[in-house]
Amino acid sequence: MTEEVSSTMLLRIAAELRLKVLEMIAAAGKGHLGGSLSVTDILVALYPGGVLNVRSAEPAWPERDRLIYSKAHACEAFYAVLAEVGLVPAEWLSEYGRDGSKLGGHPDTSLPGVEMSGGSLGHGLGVAAGMALSAKLRGESHKVFAVLGDGECYEGSVWESATFAAHHQLSNLVAIVDRNFEITLSNTEDCNRLEPFADKWRSCGWEAIEIDGHDLQQLTRILRSARNDPRKGPIAIVAKTVKGKGVSFMEAEVGWHHRVPGGEVLERARAELGARARSLG
Amino acid sequence: MNPAETKDIRDAFFDEVYDAAVADQRVIVLVDDQGAFALNRLREEFPERYINIGIAEQNLINVAAGLAMEGWKPVVYGINNFVSLRCCEQISVALAYPNLPVTIVASGGGLTYASDGPTHHGLHDIAVLRSLPNFTVLNPSDAELTRVCARLCLDNEGPFYVRMERGVVPALHSGVDSFESGIARLLEGNEVLLLSTGFITHVAFEAAQLLRDQGVECGLVEVFKLRLLAGDVLWKEIKDSHILVVVEEQPPIGGLRSVVGELPERFKGKIMHCCLPEEPSYIYGSRDWIRASHGLDAVSIFERVRASLLR
Repeated sequence: MTEEVSSTMLLRIAAELRLKVLEMIAAAGKGHLGGSLSVTDILVALYPGGVLNVRSAEPAWPERDRLIYSKAHACEAFYAVLAEVGLVPAEWLSEYGRDGSKLGGHPDTSLPGVEMSGGSLGHGLGVAAGMALSAKLRGESHKVFAVLGDGECYEGSVWESATFAAHHQLSNLVAIVDRNFEITLSNTEDCNRLEPFADKWRSCGWEAIEIDGHDLQQLTRILRSARNDPRKGPIAIVAKTVKGKGVSFMEAEVGWHHRVPGGEVLERARAELGARARSLG
Repeated sequence: MNPAETKDIRDAFFDEVYDAAVADQRVIVLVDDQGAFALNRLREEFPERYINIGIAEQNLINVAAGLAMEGWKPVVYGINNFVSLRCCEQISVALAYPNLPVTIVASGGGLTYASDGPTHHGLHDIAVLRSLPNFTVLNPSDAELTRVCARLCLDNEGPFYVRMERGVVPALHSGVDSFESGIARLLEGNEVLLLSTGFITHVAFEAAQLLRDQGVECGLVEVFKLRLLAGDVLWKEIKDSHILVVVEEQPPIGGLRSVVGELPERFKGKIMHCCLPEEPSYIYGSRDWIRASHGLDAVSIFERVRASLLR
């Protein structure tokens, strides 16, 4: 997955994955649509975009980059991207939500390419920090990425790990926050203000970069740079995104954290995401 | 004199950790700003493998998990409640479920930090940790048994939790012949059998002596492994006794009494339970004094058992 894929190709992949996410959730009758749609471009940049140094045919390759998917509830986008790059069989996606499916509501380590079983928010950064510390102590060159939700950053454990990673100068650690500004019930700034969010990371000793989390070209460039550039400490990518990205009425309305569209609403969502995918196809 | 009598319990454990660190590059110690004299040598000789995470136990456990996932054998050390209850979910999700080789060493148990009040009393750690999958839960009474427990943790895979006492105490065990079972008989006798775990076993030993002085055929068994123990061995030890007296320094639910209740066989004799109350104790004093306030001293146990025998 190290070869670069064209930006047009990445746009097409992202559009197709969003449609897959919608279909998975519609078929299952459950899932986390809003967050999966907001994080999709981040995952596309990381996997098909070639930022991560991983091997589909050898998921446990010792020199692989590690990715801890801490916002594990947005599993549909994660499953779709793992299938896209061949880490899990594509046919498993249609099993999502069915009895006996290998794909649960949060990814677990029985799946190729999943480093940590997720589901409980606030754990991923600490585990990623432990893995990064391990690589540093052993002089290994792989990198460790953690994908967090912004609502997850209400958890105090995130900041325990943030200060730890900076203190130990874990320059091999990259945290990417899907900053979609929404939690289940409200905007983050109405619930318990997170801004100035990037400054919080900086004050903990991280380099923090705010980017447009839906600009695939920028995402890929910045993430690749964050992976490869020598530096002294960990780096936080605050990727500003939109919950429900790609479906106009979901983008405009709080409440699509785990709501499942049906009937005419589903058709409208399908039409919008389908049109986007076809326009790039 | 048995050498164990002169050794601080913490030294007994951490000297084994030091030896393991010398022999095995994977051993790494993480603490939550809790020190121990016996850890100084390891810290000085292997500074990269001794990390004070600070007072941040959720991160402590998660970092240990990340290291274990990469092949390390972390030993985590802190005060009881803070490395058990404070980070319980991290222990559950990040250590127990994936069955990672992390040892949590909890300083103190029960009323070790007596005068510090209930935030520092280790009351619920065993009940909670015993409910998690894959965890071996250890609660040794003296330096020798603590050393044995250290070897169990360091020589095996999987997660371990150890309630570790502090200080120099008389040796109860001079050679434990069955480490794996987690059960060690200290006194023969079955008319009354005291079944104890951890540091309170010293009190149980005194109570047993008082009963024996009165001509009661009283035995004593320490169960130092409270989870993943050999239930069949425990059953063999208790099945022929007439009165079983469970002595433990924790509230009624989830400890040694519960272990007995979880055996597939049902004990037919009388069971007495000497333990701490469910409610936290906002009374301040020495450990012995607070124990006695709750009837957990040797004389109270002796009198309770004797009264039962006279009935």
